[in-house]
Amino acid sequence: MLHTVAITLKIPDNTAFSALTALRRLGVDVDRVERADIWQFAGPASGNDVAASVQRNESLFNPNKHALELRESPNPQSGEAWISTISATHAVAADASAAAVHHVGWRLFGRDGTPVPPATLKEAVEKLLCNPAIERAIT
Amino acid sequence: MAEAARRDLRVSAKVAVLVFPGTNSEAETVRICRDVGLDAESVHWSKATSLPTYDAYILPGGFAYEDRIRAGAISAHDPMMDYVIKAAEKGKLVLGICNGAQILLEAGLVPGTGAIRRPTAAFTRNAPSGKFICKHVHIKLSGTPSRCAITAALPNDAVIPAWAGHGEGRLAASMEHLEQISSGGHLAFVYSHSDGTVNAAAVPNGSALGCAGLTNKKGNVLAIMPHPERDAWNFNHSERADGKDILAPSGGAAFFRAFAKALS
Repeated sequence: MLHTVAITLKIPDNTAFSALTALRRLGVDVDRVERADIWQFAGPASGNDVAASVQRNESLFNPNKHALELRESPNPQSGEAWISTISATHAVAADASAAAVHHVGWRLFGRDGTPVPPATLKEAVEKLLCNPAIERAIT
Repeated sequence: MAEAARRDLRVSAKVAVLVFPGTNSEAETVRICRDVGLDAESVHWSKATSLPTYDAYILPGGFAYEDRIRAGAISAHDPMMDYVIKAAEKGKLVLGICNGAQILLEAGLVPGTGAIRRPTAAFTRNAPSGKFICKHVHIKLSGTPSRCAITAALPNDAVIPAWAGHGEGRLAASMEHLEQISSGGHLAFVYSHSDGTVNAAAVPNGSALGCAGLTNKKGNVLAIMPHPERDAWNFNHSERADGKDILAPSGGAAFFRAFAKALS
């Protein structure tokens, strides 16, 4: 089973705000940016067990500033790009899974509050969010 | 010493040392530039419009914009870089050190094998440790000194001492772009031992090609990861504190003398 966990900040996300400012400066039509650490765990444990394991891992999750979501889909949401460092496999949360893959999820929203269309997301990825020399983007 | 150096070199060039939010090495960079006779000063990000009046630019080390998104990613699109990119295209000298080097790669100025602001390489997470390193290193000129204007006054096979202080200093790129870096002579410095021997043991961070520095096609932009300005005076070496002039130049000063020579 592949389980997808998204960890977001409950406190203001300065990095997401910097990304929003830079994207606007680059002419990308975006009104809001959300960022998440996406962890994907492969293994026999249940989704709830994986989530509980992540919540116990203090290097991944701080309940004072993070929120955790166990996602149903193993793919990015609408308006979202997952950026991962090439060949980035991390051995974490060993009590739940043997290995995990990490992505940074960027979800972009337009002025009407809905996720941006694929063309806008592609523009943001190419101009700022992904350095293809060292990263890959999944949209 | 600075006045004497200025007279010797007849340097009138003005050097801007760029300060982004999070830059932290501007003071020592300005100081060594002045010590070798350059008219250098820090230029704050809020003073970007003054940049066209300078003759050369140094992007010093630090953590510009907290390395948000990636090291150098936000800074590469900062308004200050609009001026630096235009200046580089006109042939002015641009030097990036450590975080400054990361910014130059994100801006596509080096190795310059792609379009501007479309990076084809990066200085990324050290390998195999994945951790920050603070280590005294030596870097050796990889090609002929004249390949890069900033190194033109250095002797063949020059070895410069410096301090590596980075968590993300490993050159990474696709095989295609690494080949272009090699065949295009973009590899300006490689890590070496103090005697100039080059081998894997001298590379502290797993950098591809043993790379410590890259230059662009024209040779007017140079990005180096280690800090020669942190090995520029005897006081950078605790073992020299006793009985030696602690303000005397150390090995890294040679790099900046070459930079000054390029502007004279």
